Amino acid sequence: MFTISEKTKKFITKEVSRYETKRSAIIPCLFELQKDNQGWISNDCIESLSQFMDIPSKDINEVFHFYTMFNKKSVGDFHIQVCCNISCHMNGGLDLFKVLSDEFKIEKNGVSKDSLAISKVECLGSCGTAPMMQVNEKYYENLTKDKAIQVIKDLIASKKTN
Amino acid sequence: MSGKNEDLISCSVNGKTISVPKNTSAIKAFKIAEQDIAHYCYHPGLSVAGCCRLCMIEIEGNPRTQIACNTMVTEGMKINNQSKQIKEDVQWGLDFHLLNHPLDCPICDQAGECGLQDQYMKFGQYKPDMNQKKVKKAKVVSLGEKIVLDSERCILCSRCVRFTDEVSKTHELGIFNRGDKSEVGTFNGKELNNDYALNTVDICPVGALTSKDFRFKQRVWYLKKAEAICTGCSTGCSIYLDYNEEGFFRVRPKPNEDNNSYWMCDEGRDLYQHLNKEKRLVKVYPSKKVSTSNFAVSSSSSSSSSSSSSSSKKAIKYLKSELENIKDSTKIGVLVTGQYSVEDYKEFFSVLKEKNSINQIYHWFDQKNSKNDFDDLLIRGDKNPNTKGLLEVAKDMSLKVIDSSELKNTASNLEILIVLGPEYKKFFSTIDEKLEYFKQALQVFYFSSVKLDSLDSISNVTQIPLQSLVERGGTYINYKGLKQKLSILPQVIPKILSFSQIAKVLNGEKIQLEPLFLKTQPVKDNQFSFQKN
Ligand code: SF4
Ligand code: SF4
Ligand code: FES
Ligand code: FES
Repeated sequence: MFTISEKTKKFITKEVSRYETKRSAIIPCLFELQKDNQGWISNDCIESLSQFMDIPSKDINEVFHFYTMFNKKSVGDFHIQVCCNISCHMNGGLDLFKVLSDEFKIEKNGVSKDSLAISKVECLGSCGTAPMMQVNEKYYENLTKDKAIQVIKDLIASKKTN
Repeated sequence: MSGKNEDLISCSVNGKTISVPKNTSAIKAFKIAEQDIAHYCYHPGLSVAGCCRLCMIEIEGNPRTQIACNTMVTEGMKINNQSKQIKEDVQWGLDFHLLNHPLDCPICDQAGECGLQDQYMKFGQYKPDMNQKKVKKAKVVSLGEKIVLDSERCILCSRCVRFTDEVSKTHELGIFNRGDKSEVGTFNGKELNNDYALNTVDICPVGALTSKDFRFKQRVWYLKKAEAICTGCSTGCSIYLDYNEEGFFRVRPKPNEDNNSYWMCDEGRDLYQHLNKEKRLVKVYPSKKVSTSNFAVSSSSSSSSSSSSSSSKKAIKYLKSELENIKDSTKIGVLVTGQYSVEDYKEFFSVLKEKNSINQIYHWFDQKNSKNDFDDLLIRGDKNPNTKGLLEVAKDMSLKVIDSSELKNTASNLEILIVLGPEYKKFFSTIDEKLEYFKQALQVFYFSSVKLDSLDSISNVTQIPLQSLVERGGTYINYKGLKQKLSILPQVIPKILSFSQIAKVLNGEKIQLEPLFLKTQPVKDNQFSFQKN
């Protein structure tokens, strides 16, 4: 069973108090839980959250499955989200996605040897600096293929030195 | 509902003026006005979801069409669903519901009572303009012991989800994913095994949820339905029994606002099995003592059911003569369960009282649950449909009612113990204890419609078959005093004596054996009644 950290428990309690019904707090709570669990949500996480919030697990699962920003599988150490919405698309977002997938041998829905996962996402609100991508919590903007590859290489290296 | 005028408002539905209570939804107004309206997600026993978008209406004065299930009628409202606009809306709605539907009606258990078939036949456009590929989803998903899910057939009306949220309050089902990937299911392999789960099969308008017990047994158009009550507990839910000349096949709840609303429990669904040949007591099983005496039931004749009436008659005549030999009526015990009708009790008790001066009965109630247990929905601890009726009859006839546990002290003094046994034996948890008492009495005459195998090995017990509850009919009084009358259905096993015949034999009167046999009518008229235009 997954244990919710004390910090997250506090967050949930506070979040729940902000709304008329507990259910309204499901989205922010899932986000917080996702951070606690290396970027993805397992059935165990949902079960724990259901117990802590006293909401049927299937209700949480309904919300969880409705939104794409919750990850259903492990996303490794680095989750690369390449924006492929209009502005980024026009500036080569899709190419960026393909180049990164090939270069680092990342399969769709999988985690690569270097612990990378990749997905296409919709507009991340940074159209002025298209094309762009988000790796974990951080934005990388005005990208070219080479720049993007370098960013990822640096990240992998930084992990090794740590 | 009070009939006071201020509580009623008037409105018109398709030009028909009607009065409806305040807070009536427009879809209810259509039902009251007996006007057709397409719908899937609306169910009178559940909250409003408004998700199928089929119940489209126009309200005079409103520019746009809207749904009827989520619209409350107001004074003077003029509603209709007859315009070309509405008809097209509904046709398109239906085509969208069929967009990803597999149309595997030939192997779908719902065919014949399917909302999608029925509504399409009534309201569909017949020449669909859709040519998209269908989305594949999970088929034959087992949701536990009782139910199978076919996601492709699901039209996402959410009735089943609302049922587990609002009625059973067990929250197993949800709708996961979105858009055309949406699927009904349970979380993390949880099973849909709650005590009321099979109601979701009833309310599912399509063949997405089907019952493991019933599926593939019969095409529904070969079944007739009869009204009855469930005798599984003292709630006595109103039910439909579906049957044909091969026997009974399933039990479904019959809506009854005074009692079970739209639901019944899953245990009660087994009732039909107890009416069919396989579980029935079909002939007399004489005790060892009887077969060596002058009561001759030759093995060749007793084995065929056609002679069961004459062997029953002989057995009862024998009982009569044995009873006459006993001068002290305290040596005769009568042990009764609350599973028979008021009429059955009256008939049986009055002859025993008159002929044999019986003035007391043993009440066989004891079971694991207490009489007052209640699960807050339907299921009650008293597993007898007619405890109230039994006690009332006993009171009217001034019979003393003694708890059957008293047999512990008295059984060994009894020369004859007459038993009206349980018909739904699964619910009687103390049968073994009773068998001990049976062994102590000199002779036992055990009446029931259901075979109890453990009796065969007890040498002093004679088993005599009874008609099943739907062959006998009669009045049952439930826990709150609601009187419900069972009508008589065709006999599954021919030529079993009725209670009044048994009483007559005990009374020394002659009876006719033949005319009881009622053969079921084969179900012939299964032509489709739908025709375009
Ligand atoms: S399974 Fe049946 S009841 Fe449940 S949402 Fe689908 S169609 Fe409706
Ligand atoms: S609640 Fe009682 S009467 Fe109703 S279906 Fe269940 S067993 Fe039968
Ligand atoms: S389109 Fe990529 S950030 Fe807006
Ligand atoms: S019945 Fe009204 S929207 Fe489904």
